[in-house]
Amino acid sequence: MEALVREGVDTIFGYPGGVVLPLYDEMLNWPQVRHILVRHEQCAAHMADGYARATGRVGVCLATSGPGATNLVTGIATAMMDSVPMVAITGNVNSWAIGKDAFQETDIQGITIPITKHNYLVTDVNDLPYVFAEAFYLAGTGRKGPVLVDIPKDVFTALTEAAFPETVTRRGYQVPGAPPQEQVEAAAKLIAEAQRPVMIAGAGVLWSEAFEELKELAEKANIPVINSLLGLGTFPRDHKLSLGMMGMHGEATGTLAVQEADLVMGVGIRFDDRLTGDTKAFAPKAKILHFDLDPAEVGKTVNPVAFVIGDLKKSLQALNPLIQPTARPDWLAQVKSWQEQYPLVVPEGKFLSRTVLQALNEYTNGEAIVATDVGQHQMWTAQFYKLRKPFNWLSSGGLGTMGYGFPAAMGAKYARPDAEVWAVVGDGGFQMTLQELQTAVETNCNVKICLLNNGFLGMVRQWQELFYDNRYSHVAMGSPDFGKLADAYGVEFIRCSRIEDLEDTLKRATDHVGPVLCEFVVEMEENVYPMVPAGQSNSGVIMDPALTHQESHVAASFETTHRR
Amino acid sequence: MAGGKQHTITALVQNEAGTINRLASLFRRRGFSLASFNAGDCEDPGFSRLTLVVNGDDVILTQCLKQLTKLIDVVECEDLTPEESVQRELALIRVEPTPENREAVYKIALEFMAKTPKATEKTVVVEISADIREVERLIETLKPFNVTEIVRTGVVAMRVE
Repeated sequence: MEALVREGVDTIFGYPGGVVLPLYDEMLNWPQVRHILVRHEQCAAHMADGYARATGRVGVCLATSGPGATNLVTGIATAMMDSVPMVAITGNVNSWAIGKDAFQETDIQGITIPITKHNYLVTDVNDLPYVFAEAFYLAGTGRKGPVLVDIPKDVFTALTEAAFPETVTRRGYQVPGAPPQEQVEAAAKLIAEAQRPVMIAGAGVLWSEAFEELKELAEKANIPVINSLLGLGTFPRDHKLSLGMMGMHGEATGTLAVQEADLVMGVGIRFDDRLTGDTKAFAPKAKILHFDLDPAEVGKTVNPVAFVIGDLKKSLQALNPLIQPTARPDWLAQVKSWQEQYPLVVPEGKFLSRTVLQALNEYTNGEAIVATDVGQHQMWTAQFYKLRKPFNWLSSGGLGTMGYGFPAAMGAKYARPDAEVWAVVGDGGFQMTLQELQTAVETNCNVKICLLNNGFLGMVRQWQELFYDNRYSHVAMGSPDFGKLADAYGVEFIRCSRIEDLEDTLKRATDHVGPVLCEFVVEMEENVYPMVPAGQSNSGVIMDPALTHQESHVAASFETTHRR
Repeated sequence: MAGGKQHTITALVQNEAGTINRLASLFRRRGFSLASFNAGDCEDPGFSRLTLVVNGDDVILTQCLKQLTKLIDVVECEDLTPEESVQRELALIRVEPTPENREAVYKIALEFMAKTPKATEKTVVVEISADIREVERLIETLKPFNVTEIVRTGVVAMRVE
């Protein structure tokens, strides 16, 4: 507990059990650390993740050995894929019993090797102070990520006089600093030569807190800024240079701009397959310039002509003075014309998920913390929720974890009690982790749940419609009566199925202090557009059929018909 | 061999619970093809030096080196070319020759500067430490004399300076 307090931990998310009894007993002596008792360990990890994404600080979760530890796995893997700083503490059986298949023994260190930045099995209590200090240091520096510390029961109870280290250093582990100057100069030269540059800003900008530098660069050189899914919020969505998300379900403008650009700058992104589509056809006319702190990301999926390796804030600080102000009226006009031709659409007269999310965006002015699950509603939220600030966007981008949204939103609310927090979830994902309603009630966690109920696993259904001849296989989702469910938990409930009730629902939800479940009963079969089918070229982006003025749904025709 | 050539990578790693597991896991998870894996104590207490032989083209090799470097346990690693390094493998080869061929086996061992540390009435164990090609040449040469078991350590390598 002293280790946690020294690291500035104010909240931990956990679930007790046999081998962590000593720690839970000691916890009573440390009232400055708040323990949130979850109803499933997976949610302890998701809450710690939400806490981290909403603050930039290391989130902490705690579970007992065996099933307690394995229940954390999905949450740890989620954090790993999205480079979220987390320390997961697990108990294990007594050190002399390890390897003997003792009750509730599992090799959690072995299990989590591929899904942690680093992990430890501490067998000597004298190592514990240093291991904790190092665990927090590794989790929260460089490319952040989850670190697991597995502690046998007898190590919990043993006493040590070993001191906590003042500083942590580790041979072979260097926190990235400023990039080499020649890389920065080469980057500046590429930018100066470019006629049609775009930036794709990702979560790296968030974790390096390089928002101001990014904005300065964009404004100075008039470079449109696209965001990766996880980068949303790092560049204000209401900025005139913001193009929103690109890729599989991103806005067409960003996707097309990259295909036409002569310079594509990846800033803290890993050129993920959902963003690039077919990498061979990605940005065919462009030189790629990659800024990242992790050298292993350079050249992993696409081949940049140049790169700048270092802390993004320092990289952009070094770069910005070398940038000549440039106006680029032609390029910006072309980008604007795409925006006008291919806007996001919300067909009128129907009660759609998009209708709800557009209203949520307007009602909260894009200023709430929003957590999502995974699927159609996630993509629509990414499209329609116009995030203006960083640390307000919580979504499982890499692993794509259903059930993430609600507990992550709770974690964010515990971290930032003054912020308005919304969990946007579908009927599928919500049913994976809704048991945390009890945790929310007990702690009066003031989160609002926007449950978009379409009775389907919508994204899977969409793929079955488009790619499997409408053969719907196990995608119709039955749900309980959410009103009765909310009653059973003692949660405020509002059901809404008409456009005219939308605003009143949102108002009632936000006026109420405490958790509120808003069920929006939306149109059952609604598809996410634009769409780039998996593995295909981004040039083949399929536009929303509701865009009536378009002759062809395939943007490839754009080149011949709309080229300036 | 999966496209490209073989590379010899050496790495200095910090010894902790799970270190070898973590290294092996990286190769499996990212689909890097590992031809041999060798670990042992080195001049730094608490650290080990590894020699890994990896199959693959330059892109795979570069990713492999970067991913290895990224592991917290790995202090440093590099791709060693044969020119700048000494690369050796130790092999034990048990031969069960006919009585009349026994002398020939000893003679071959002598030619290869291999040792014959133990023998029984039926068997001769040949021990060689050499570069891979030499080891393989010895094995080929001994094959007609009834080789019954081969144990190879995989390559260990060291930078010359």
